Amino acid sequence: MLSRNVKRALLDSRWPLPPTFLLPWAATLTTVSHATEASNIPPPLVNAGQHVSPERLERRHDQTSSDTPSAASILKPANTSTPPPALSESVRTLLPVLAAQGPHYITAHLYDRPYLLTAGDTVRLPFHMKNVEPGDVLRLNRASVLGSREYTLKAAAATPALKSPSMSSSLALDDTTGSLESHSMVMSEPGLSSSGSRIMPPHFVPHIAAGKVSYLDERLFVCRAVVMGVESEPLRVKEKTKRRQRKIKKVKSKHRYTILRVKEVRVRSLEDIEGGREE
Amino acid sequence: MSTPTRFFRITLLRSAIGLPTRTSGVLKALGLHRRLKTVYHPVTQDVAGQVFAVKELVDVQEVDRALSDKEMKQLRQPDSGFYVERRAGERVMGS
Repeated sequence: MLSRNVKRALLDSRWPLPPTFLLPWAATLTTVSHATEASNIPPPLVNAGQHVSPERLERRHDQTSSDTPSAASILKPANTSTPPPALSESVRTLLPVLAAQGPHYITAHLYDRPYLLTAGDTVRLPFHMKNVEPGDVLRLNRASVLGSREYTLKAAAATPALKSPSMSSSLALDDTTGSLESHSMVMSEPGLSSSGSRIMPPHFVPHIAAGKVSYLDERLFVCRAVVMGVESEPLRVKEKTKRRQRKIKKVKSKHRYTILRVKEVRVRSLEDIEGGREE
Repeated sequence: MSTPTRFFRITLLRSAIGLPTRTSGVLKALGLHRRLKTVYHPVTQDVAGQVFAVKELVDVQEVDRALSDKEMKQLRQPDSGFYVERRAGERVMGS
């Protein structure tokens, strides 16, 4: 309950962005295995907490408060004094070019599900978003692709692996360099999976790691959407019965879906990003 | 009984359908009832022997701390991907 009140207070607060210590760090999570530390040494637990998003941390902290005190130390939020990762060269040169060529599209991820959006789109989410009212402005901060007609900004691809590093012997490459293909230029953004923030989760989690997407740096874009309302599907009745059984059970379903309207999709300028201006 | 300091983190990657009953018995004893389920067991000779019996089906890691089911579930929860910037009816910041 405490976590819900705290979260609610923070969500209702008048900050344009959550305070730095609350900005999610899950974007640093990658599934790339590191052969060098793969031998028989288990992943270090000291750095393990840094991949955890603080929003999840609050919930987790309260629920596991009855567990051993080491749980809290492992799942501590990231050290706030570390500077944000520097932008790569390709991003620095090409981001203004991308920004100049509007309109832009973005592949935003809500609960890890991708939605290809541009300004003015109406999105019918396949779920009912709780704790939001019509008129609330949402800031979408997880995106894997940001592009315009001729330029695309992607995060460096993470290789999904099913086996833990101690079992597999292959080395997965972290950095991808942007390659020019035909007429479309691709800027690769190694920012979050770069050497500065190679942090393994406390344990390698094979089935969770599989298929995980790596995200762009949140500072590069602004994507806002307004909650328009809630829609419900037509009433569905499912009849459940077995053969040679006269009793038929009827189950009603009438799910609700949240509708969002995308207000803006914008690429930020380098001055804004490097100046740390929050918006 | 001292608390174990090291744990095996065992994940079932291959199914035991079609395999001898003994093999699926070992998986049941380890608590691996479905594919991709993960369990933690202390590092002992008994457990090591059980893992060895099903070594082709599982992924094993040695870790310092056993995660509970609740903790594993929270690790699985994805990022919401959004936050509420402004509630309906609130004034716009700064302008």
